[in-house]
Amino acid sequence: MKNNIRMYRGKFNLTQEDLSHKLGVSRQTINSIENNKYFPSLELGLKLSRIFECKVDDIFSLE
Amino acid sequence: MKYLFNNKWKGISGWVFYVSIPIGIYLLFTDQFESLMRIKVFSLFFYDTIFITSQTENIIGSTGFRWIENGFLDEILTFIIIVSGIIHSFCKEKIEDELISKIRMDSLVMSLYINYGVLIFFNFFVYGLSYFYVMVFHLFTILILFNLIFRYKLNIHYKS
Repeated sequence: MKNNIRMYRGKFNLTQEDLSHKLGVSRQTINSIENNKYFPSLELGLKLSRIFECKVDDIFSLE
Repeated sequence: MKYLFNNKWKGISGWVFYVSIPIGIYLLFTDQFESLMRIKVFSLFFYDTIFITSQTENIIGSTGFRWIENGFLDEILTFIIIVSGIIHSFCKEKIEDELISKIRMDSLVMSLYINYGVLIFFNFFVYGLSYFYVMVFHLFTILILFNLIFRYKLNIHYKS
């Protein structure tokens, strides 16, 4: 599974730290998700889609 | 993750855990447990034997529900190590998110595999009273292993 979180962060001008505060997770967790070391839960995926104002499918896709 | 302790207990429980383990090991190997803090305790089950020769033994009997004299320090230390170890192992991190929960779960599974792998190994290669010591250590090794693996993995995570 790959994701476009880094691209969306750039679009919304958010640092990993900013995004981690919005999601209530640590900055390292955002880093792990961006680098495909960890695949987030559905709840976190939905929160990301709400922050980036898009569908979950736009952020995450199967390789 | 449910059933975790508040983060404020992590420091003090860690100190108690890591200080009481070497004290316990020292007292075990210097054979002081039975001589210190001898008090009357209520025993649910007590099995005693007396050796007459090297081949035969006369079983005095297994008696329960009676008061016996016992060195109570080992019971207290066991309680302290297990309780402090469990609290230290299962305290929330400052930011407790789902990745931390996954790392905790993975560490627990890994420590359980290693713990029982080592026990199976000793099961076939250590006999007699020495095996009793193996079992005593195995009361605590899963907590120690879990802590070491979890802290190591957390350290890698926090450095990323």
